[in-house]
Amino acid sequence: MIHKALVTDAAIIEGILQDDDTALSRLYKLHFPMVLFFVQSNSGTEDDAKDIFQEAVIVFYEKIKAGQLELNCQVKTFLYSICRRLWLKRLSRSSRFSHGMVEDTESELAPQVEEEVEQAEQNELKFEAMANALSQLGEPCKTLLEDFYIRSMGMAEITDKFGYNNVDSAKNQKYKCLMRLKKLFFLDYQVPS
Amino acid sequence: MSDRELLELIERYHQHQVTSSERRALEERMAADPAFAQRVQEAKLFTAALQNHGRQQALRDRLNQHHQQWQQENVTVPPVLKRRTPVQIFMRRYAATMGVAATVAIVTVFSSLLGMEMWRSATKQQAARYVELRREMDDLKRKQNAILNTNPVAPKASSLNPGQFSGTGFVLTSDGYFVTSYHVIEGADSLMIENKSGTKYKVEEIYSDQVRDLALLRVIDTTFTGFGKLPYSFKQKESELGERVFTLGYPREDVVFGEGTLSSRSGVYGDTASYQISIPLNPGNSGGPLLDDRGNMIGVISGKMLGVDGAAFAVKSAYLLTLLDQLPENRLPKPISLPKVNTLAGNPRPQQLKKLQDYVYMVKVYN
Repeated sequence: MIHKALVTDAAIIEGILQDDDTALSRLYKLHFPMVLFFVQSNSGTEDDAKDIFQEAVIVFYEKIKAGQLELNCQVKTFLYSICRRLWLKRLSRSSRFSHGMVEDTESELAPQVEEEVEQAEQNELKFEAMANALSQLGEPCKTLLEDFYIRSMGMAEITDKFGYNNVDSAKNQKYKCLMRLKKLFFLDYQVPS
Repeated sequence: MSDRELLELIERYHQHQVTSSERRALEERMAADPAFAQRVQEAKLFTAALQNHGRQQALRDRLNQHHQQWQQENVTVPPVLKRRTPVQIFMRRYAATMGVAATVAIVTVFSSLLGMEMWRSATKQQAARYVELRREMDDLKRKQNAILNTNPVAPKASSLNPGQFSGTGFVLTSDGYFVTSYHVIEGADSLMIENKSGTKYKVEEIYSDQVRDLALLRVIDTTFTGFGKLPYSFKQKESELGERVFTLGYPREDVVFGEGTLSSRSGVYGDTASYQISIPLNPGNSGGPLLDDRGNMIGVISGKMLGVDGAAFAVKSAYLLTLLDQLPENRLPKPISLPKVNTLAGNPRPQQLKKLQDYVYMVKVYN
């Protein structure tokens, strides 16, 4: 049984490294119901469960991609522990009456995932801030920046697409947009010390 | 160089698209100027953050797709828990507290109700309670008496069972009928009567009236020859208020005289079958005769009120007489012929008592 689980874990990690979409799909099918059950039996909804699970998966995914994953337990346990800590933290933050009453009774049993939990929360904050900044930026700046930085389009292509007179004015526009985005982003987000 | 151009240069530098001379110039400037180096680094981080955001966006989209897929495959899974209404949330949060409060309230209410009830019944009991005056023999006292008594015949006396209860009774007819209170002989196995001079007879119960608290007994001793001529007669009519009355009884081993007046023509709780009399009475007086000044038997002592001063009760002789009248003939071994002549009238009290005391007996009850 454990052997089988280990094989599955290895297959998933391998699949993620090779950008195989079925690996993510399997990960979802195998481990999401457990997290869903935990969240729902602790006064949460399916949407809450989805958010929590995705945060955990993103950390897991990025660790694999960066080659920083040090797994000393099953993937299932790892994900569950992260989700658990994340949800309990969120619960104790949201309920003003039971402040400090949400106790993590199993914290000694679970593997130490504080670092991952921290990373997941930081990640979420950063993502939110960036998404906000981008949406406040408005068009055409948003698409321009996304095209250049995310979709890696060349400046000449962008000049054509947005109908600028020449590459220089496109570059100028891009620079202004980037500076505004930077300002908006750091309004929302403090770099953790 | 403008800021824009510098930024582009830095970006190119990070993407490794700079000429070797540009790179050298930049690296020298970074080495010389830490603030500039910081700026280059920040630009890199921010660009990375933006790119990372794009990647994450893609990943999130994929995850959402998987989620939708998963949802479609698990449509049938019903929501385990419904969204709670505010009332339910409130109940869940405070259920324990409310439970404790309710328990405390219930315990308090019931204990105080119970306490009040107990207190009320206790005070009520003390206020006024009718007691029947039959005496329970005190074993301990008797034993102490026996020890103090140096008389050598004492062991013989103590071997005699003195009975468990005692009361008083008096002779009804000279040929062996005898009257006492029903509650004196209640539950008796055998009965003995004994008077001041030590005469003892075994008696049996002929008839009892529980309601009027009267019992008719008869001597069954073989050595019995008759009580002799009775000095008193029975009064048919009711006596008047304020009449002087007296009784003889056995509240202890010896005969005790008690005198008072007839204070009411009804008994406890308005019972018209009894008189209220103001004679100090004690357990053991029950069943004794109540006589008026002229020596007429007017009642049978039955009980007294606890917590009320000077309220004792006696069943009227008229009820005794109607009881005797109504007795079926076949219940009686011999017809009852009541004494007609009263020889006590006109005598001073000590003379009356001297004549009377031979006809008043202590009733001993064995069971």
